Amino acid sequence: MLPRSLTFFLALAVICMLGIAAILSAFWTPHPPTALETGPPFASPTWAHPFGTDAVGADIFSRTLSATHVDVGITIAVVGLALLVGTIWGSIIGFYGGWADAVSLRLLQVLQSFPALLLAMLVIFALGNGIRNVILVVAVIPLPDYVRLSRAEIRSKKTWQFAEAARLTGRRPIGVLFRHLVPNSMRPLVANASINASWVAATVGALGFVGLGIEPGSVEWGSMVAGGQAAVGSGGWWISFFPGLGIFFLSAAFHLLGDALTDADISRRS
Amino acid sequence: MSSDPPLAAEQATSTDVLLEIADYSGGFTSQTGVFTHVLNGVAFSVARSTITALVGETGSGKTVTALSILGLLPRTFRRISGSILFEGRDLLKLDDEELRAVRGSQICMVFQDARTALNPVFTIGTQISDVSRLHQRVSKKQARNTAVEVLDRVRIPDPRRCMRQYPHELSGGMAQRAQLAMALVCRPRLLILDEPTTGLDVTIQADILELIVDLNRNEGMTTLFITHDLGIVAETCDAVVVMQYGEVRETGTCEQIITSPRNAYTQMLIAASRFQGVSE
Repeated sequence: MLPRSLTFFLALAVICMLGIAAILSAFWTPHPPTALETGPPFASPTWAHPFGTDAVGADIFSRTLSATHVDVGITIAVVGLALLVGTIWGSIIGFYGGWADAVSLRLLQVLQSFPALLLAMLVIFALGNGIRNVILVVAVIPLPDYVRLSRAEIRSKKTWQFAEAARLTGRRPIGVLFRHLVPNSMRPLVANASINASWVAATVGALGFVGLGIEPGSVEWGSMVAGGQAAVGSGGWWISFFPGLGIFFLSAAFHLLGDALTDADISRRS
Repeated sequence: MSSDPPLAAEQATSTDVLLEIADYSGGFTSQTGVFTHVLNGVAFSVARSTITALVGETGSGKTVTALSILGLLPRTFRRISGSILFEGRDLLKLDDEELRAVRGSQICMVFQDARTALNPVFTIGTQISDVSRLHQRVSKKQARNTAVEVLDRVRIPDPRRCMRQYPHELSGGMAQRAQLAMALVCRPRLLILDEPTTGLDVTIQADILELIVDLNRNEGMTTLFITHDLGIVAETCDAVVVMQYGEVRETGTCEQIITSPRNAYTQMLIAASRFQGVSE
């Protein structure tokens, strides 16, 4: 059922490690992430401070670790929301068709005509910062992909014989859709969700970098990278580097995972 | 119109009739609004505890007739006249809710290609227990026990193992048995088989036919057997309905149809089948 490639397992391992770090960081970090003067300011990585310290002596390792649960959490929430809403919406319009289908498609086209990151920045700027707003906005942007994909899957499968056979057993149409057709269309949707998670992780980082997104003062990779910018010029590479590495690993792992899932789905179909 | 009104009338008056289709006509409307007749005054009846064959070439309206019984025609189908009485109730007059109660519990259908008629992502056990849970108030465990029993009834060698298997893990014959089990789980009163043995090896085909005959003999299962193979008809069925171009050409007992067909089309079908010798 699952792909057996090395990429798949490596990506899965990285995601699992980030997940464990996220859970761990919610309870424990070597130093409190927002504590000042845990060591000398601008200290390069040492055993006491494996990722170094910043201008006010805060421990970068603790901050990077602590940001894991924010970034991983937002990414999973966004993808979960988009997957759930997109699958339900797409499945219904794909199954029933009609005016709801036509209207939905036009609506999604309008949404897709805006440049994604610009739209996210504008909306968050208008709504204000906050984790909830970030999750909602970043989830709405890739929604058209999910809707179209599940709509196409359902449309191609609704005339298959097992769907008709399911109706013959006395199931109502909505039951045929959600009990029989939707489970059969999840494979490409999950692959898409994984690739989308990669984009979400990068976008959340980007929003944090430009100061939009979560509340000021909370710890997040994108805003940490922005915070360390000034120091990079004077040799303090570690302040920006390690949170940037976090974004890189999260985004890359999801992308490779999604690639492996897509490959597996394509080879299964052919 | 039926070319054989005397026999149809005779069967209709009998109290042993389970299903009676009378003067059923209809057709499909294309997107451009053109109406095409596909059924023209179809009339025949199925007596209780018999195997009735519905025979005819591709496009003769066999499957449309069968799907009409279950009320599962595409929206483009329009009925012009007729009635389909099942135990005295006109199925064409039932609303969606009432029809759903009939489908799967009182009338069941088995398709030609079992592996496409079963859902690829669920195990056989899940699919069979799903059907009984849909129609009866039973617990998950009871439903699974019933599923094992019904798999045993259709002579699947290791029912408990089959419960855990997915459709793609089964051979064609096993999948057809599983589909049959799914149809039988609610003990329906009418079983419709749409070319159930086409595409199976001859030996597997014989096994499945034997099973269908045994279900009829031992449990009194009334069966409507749709096929184009008169060889099968001669071996298994009690009564035969011959259809061509959406009309019933001839109805009668199996022996009568095979040995002394009155209709020219029936004679042609028999001549074309491998049981040519029987008709001469």
